[in-house]
Amino acid sequence: MSSQRLPLVQSLAAKVILSTVLLSLGVVWLTGSALYSQLSEGIKTVNLDSSLAEARSVFYNARYQFLLVQGASEPQIQVQVTDVLTSPTTLGTAEGAREIILLKIFSKGEIAKNGQQPNYSFASNGLLATTIPEQLRLDIAKQNDLAYQFSPLTYRTGKTIDALYVGQRVSIPGSGRYEMYLVFTLVNQGATLEIVQNSLLLTGLVLLLLIGLITWLVVRQVVKPLREAARVASLFTEGDFSQRLRIESKDEIATLGSAFNEMATSIEAQIRRLENLSKVQQRFVSDVSHELRTPLTTLRMASDVIYSNRADFDPAIARSAELLIAQIDRFEKLLQELLEVSRFDAEVAVLEVTDFELIALVRRCAADLGVALDSTDSQITVAAPDTPVHIRADFRRVERIMRNLISNALDHADGKSIEIECVETGTEVAVSVRDHGPGMEESSLTRVFDRFWREDPSRARTRGGTGLGLSIALEDARLHGGELDAWGSPGDGANFVLTLPRIAGNEISGRPLPVNPHKRSEVKNESM
Amino acid sequence: MTLVMVVDDDQDLAEMLGIVLTGAGIDVDLVSRGDEVMEVFRSNPPDLVLLDVMLPGLDGVEVCKLIRAESMVPIVMLSAKGDTQDIVAGLEAGADDYMVKPFKHPSELVARIRTRLRRTNAHLKDSLTIGDLAIDVTAHEVRRGTQVIALTRLEFDLLVALAKEPGRVFTRDALLSEVWGYRHSTDTRLVNVHVQRLRSKVEHDPEHPSIVMTVRGVGYKAGVEGTL
Repeated sequence: MSSQRLPLVQSLAAKVILSTVLLSLGVVWLTGSALYSQLSEGIKTVNLDSSLAEARSVFYNARYQFLLVQGASEPQIQVQVTDVLTSPTTLGTAEGAREIILLKIFSKGEIAKNGQQPNYSFASNGLLATTIPEQLRLDIAKQNDLAYQFSPLTYRTGKTIDALYVGQRVSIPGSGRYEMYLVFTLVNQGATLEIVQNSLLLTGLVLLLLIGLITWLVVRQVVKPLREAARVASLFTEGDFSQRLRIESKDEIATLGSAFNEMATSIEAQIRRLENLSKVQQRFVSDVSHELRTPLTTLRMASDVIYSNRADFDPAIARSAELLIAQIDRFEKLLQELLEVSRFDAEVAVLEVTDFELIALVRRCAADLGVALDSTDSQITVAAPDTPVHIRADFRRVERIMRNLISNALDHADGKSIEIECVETGTEVAVSVRDHGPGMEESSLTRVFDRFWREDPSRARTRGGTGLGLSIALEDARLHGGELDAWGSPGDGANFVLTLPRIAGNEISGRPLPVNPHKRSEVKNESM
Repeated sequence: MTLVMVVDDDQDLAEMLGIVLTGAGIDVDLVSRGDEVMEVFRSNPPDLVLLDVMLPGLDGVEVCKLIRAESMVPIVMLSAKGDTQDIVAGLEAGADDYMVKPFKHPSELVARIRTRLRRTNAHLKDSLTIGDLAIDVTAHEVRRGTQVIALTRLEFDLLVALAKEPGRVFTRDALLSEVWGYRHSTDTRLVNVHVQRLRSKVEHDPEHPSIVMTVRGVGYKAGVEGTL
C-alpha cells in the first residue's frame, strides 16, 4: 500500500504545494501590480515635468512670435505661423514623436462679423480635433495658463498611443484666438513600462516556481515521516507487531513517532498477554484431556472386566455394572465434546483434509445408528445419486456431523421415518436429514445450535445426547466453509441441511437443497 | 506364552492393563519410566511393546526410536491426546499402530495386540514377488537379488498384503482392515505414514515408487515385475 503512488488529490504534498503556489500567485500578482502602477506613475511624473517645461517654452515662443507680427500682412503672418508650428515638431513628422495642433476658436457671431478672417488651424500628421480630450478644452478655456491631461492619441490610421496633451490659448494677429496643443506621445515610456512589466512577470513566474520547489522540499520533510508512519501502521495491521518508527529528530514528527511506538508497544504487549492467555487455556485443555483420559481408561477397563463377569453377580449388581458402563460411555462422550468445543473456542481446530466418497459415509452412518436403535421402529431411508460423490474434506468431522444429525433426528422422530437426501452440484454437496417428529417452533430454530439447549427442558433424554452435538456439527460445517441450516414446524417435524463446498475451504455459492422440505419438492418438480 | 511390555507411568492403568492382558492369556512386563525401557527390553525381549507417549525420564516417541534402532518388534503407541501431531510423530518414529485413550472397548486393545502378534497367514504360498523383490513368507524375509531388506513386522505384512493379490487395487480402508485389523476406522494417516516408511526401505526412488504404486483417488497396488 505504501509503495503505491497516491493520486494527486490524496497526496498531502500535492495539496500543500498547490495551495501554496495558488496563494503565492495571488500575493505576487498583487505586489507586481502595485509595483507596476507605482513605476508607471513615476515614469509619467518625471516625463510630465520636462514635457510641461518644454511646452511652456514653446507656447511662450509662439506668443512672442505672434506679437512680433502684429499688424503685418497676411502672408507674413502665415509664414510666421508655419515657422512657429514647425519648430517644435522638427523632431520628426513620423508618428510617435510629438504632435502639435492649432485650433481656431470661433466665437458667436464671428463669421457674420468678419467672415473673411484667415484661419491658420493646423494639425501635424493630419490629426483630428476630436482626439483632444474634451475636459482639457474646457480647462484651457477657463484659465490663461497652460493645462494638461493624459489621454490616448488616435491617428487617422486608427492607431492609438498613450499621450500627454498640453494646451494653452494663443492669439494670432488678424485671425483671432486659437487653442494650441502640444501632444507628447508616451511611446518611450510605454516601451520602458513594457520591459518593466515583462521583467515583473518573469520574476513572478520564477518566484512561483521557487516557492513551489521550496514548499515541496519542506512538505517532503513532513510527509516522508508520515508516509513511513502509514507504511509501518499498515504492516502493523497485517500482523507484524514488531514494526516501529525510526525517530531521528526532536520535533512534532518525532513526538508522533514516539507516541505511535508507545501505542505499538502497548498493543504488542496486550496481544502477547492475550496470546499467552490463549496458550495457557490450550495448555490447560490439553492437560485436562490427558489427566482425565488416563483414569477414564482405567475406569473403563475395570468396568468392562466387571461387566463381562456380570452373569456371576446378583441382578442388582449386574444392572449396576451395566449402568456404570453406560455412564462411563456418556461421560467420555461429554468429555470429548467439551474438549472439541474448547478447541473451537480457542480457534485451534484444524481441518485434516482428505479425498473421500460422501454417499458411502452417509449410508454407513445411517446403517450404524439405525442398527444401534433396535428399540424403536425408525426407518432411515437414503436418497442419493447413483454415482459416487467425491469431496475433499475432513472425514472425521463430516462423519461426526452426519452422526450428530442422524442421532438428533432419531432422538426426535418418535419412531417415524427419517429421510436422508444427498445432492451434488459442480461446487457444493448437500445432505438433508428430515424427521417427522413433533418438530420445532419458529423461535427455536435460532437456538437449536446453542450449547446444551433443549427445546423442552422437561423432555426426557432418550438417547443421552450431550446437548453439544448440533453446536459442534455447526462449527464443523463452518470450519469447512460450509453451512448447517435448520427448519422445523410444529407437528411437521424438522429438517437439517448440511451444505459443504466440494473442496473444503472454498466458499459455497448457494444451497443446492433448500432447508424447507416443502419448497424442495416444488423445486424438484419444476426441474423435472 | 506371548510377552507384552507395557510402558505407562500411571500405576493403576498399568495394573489394569496387566489384568486385562493376563486375562487374555498374555504375559505382561510393566515398565513405568521411559529411560528404563531399553534395559528391560534387552534383558527380556518382548513380543510386542505397548508404549505410552507421555512418560517420565524419556518421551515415548524417543523410546520408540530407540527400540526401532535395534528391533523390528511390533510397537503400539498409547496416546491420551489424540492430536494428529502426536500420532504422526509416533508413527514416524516407527510405531506400527496407535490407540487413543480411553479405548472404546478393552477387547479392542486385545484384538489389536493379537493382530500385531499374528504370524503371517500360513495358507499363503511360501514365496511371493512384488516388483523386483522376492518375499519369503515363511522365513519372513524380503530380498532384492541377494540383498536382504530389513522390515518391521507391520511393513512386511503390508508388503505381503499387496503382493498376494498383484492385480488388486487396495483402498486405504481395505488395507486398514487387512493389515491392522480395523473394522470401521478410516484413519488414513496410519496407511499413509507406513506406506511412506515402507517405500523408503524398498523403493529404488521413493519419490517415483515402482513397488508400492499409488492409484490416485483410490489407494495402492503392487508394482508389476519388469516395469522398472
